[in-house]
Amino acid sequence: METIPKTEASTIPTPPERLAYSIQEAADMLGVNYFSVYRLIQRGKLKPCRALRGKLLVPRTELLKLLATE
Amino acid sequence: MSNLFEHCRPTELEDKAHADAVRHFSEHLKQFPASREAVDRLERDLAKIGLAANVAASKPTPSGNSIQADDGAQWHKSVELMENIFLCHRPIMGGADYAVVEHFPTRGTNEIWNRGGNAVEVLRMFAQEQRQALQIWTEDMGVQMKEFLAEKFPGQDLSRVANAFIHKCTTQAVSQKHSLTSDHAQNQSRGVRI
Repeated sequence: METIPKTEASTIPTPPERLAYSIQEAADMLGVNYFSVYRLIQRGKLKPCRALRGKLLVPRTELLKLLATE
Repeated sequence: MSNLFEHCRPTELEDKAHADAVRHFSEHLKQFPASREAVDRLERDLAKIGLAANVAASKPTPSGNSIQADDGAQWHKSVELMENIFLCHRPIMGGADYAVVEHFPTRGTNEIWNRGGNAVEVLRMFAQEQRQALQIWTEDMGVQMKEFLAEKFPGQDLSRVANAFIHKCTTQAVSQKHSLTSDHAQNQSRGVRI
């Protein structure tokens, strides 16, 4: 009996959800420019965390929270 | 602050590191000066913009395109302050209410940043917050720059490059070219506006 070959998609494991995103990535996801993201941080609408070397990251949960309240 | 490379030319490595950084952070370099200039302009024209909003609000029939903000009320756009950010007004009993409203195109929402009965005060509050947001951006850019240089050129002291980049980004006019060497040559011949 002929077997149907597995499609490529079914063999590639789904990467785990990221916990946090860079400012650039957050801006892209929200469809705004960098300044808008920093403005949202300044206003406390997005609470960032810091990476090991200190750069700002936006937790995934914060992005989801912001989108849910919009 | 004077030019950081004034007294000592950048080394070859510093020049390369700077060129790499400019490439890597090109979007910051494009967006930051434009945002900074928008805030500068806002601070400079505060009274003028406030007056324009007062005039618009004093008309018996509200003028300007109307939008519905996240407070559920209908607002009339008076002046566009920055891309997708407007000073708006709406009539209230015995006067007018003013608000800075940002439009988020992808979500189609309009969020109120600041509001109050005095247009100039509303603008001043907004401008102050924009200044603080620029400060957060500047600090973060400095950290990102140091991280980038440390990863790309491990063990090298490129603090002059990081400082020069941030200095350039936070002081240069929009649409200038970004070359450490050409800056150095220009600075020697005609000085730098800080």
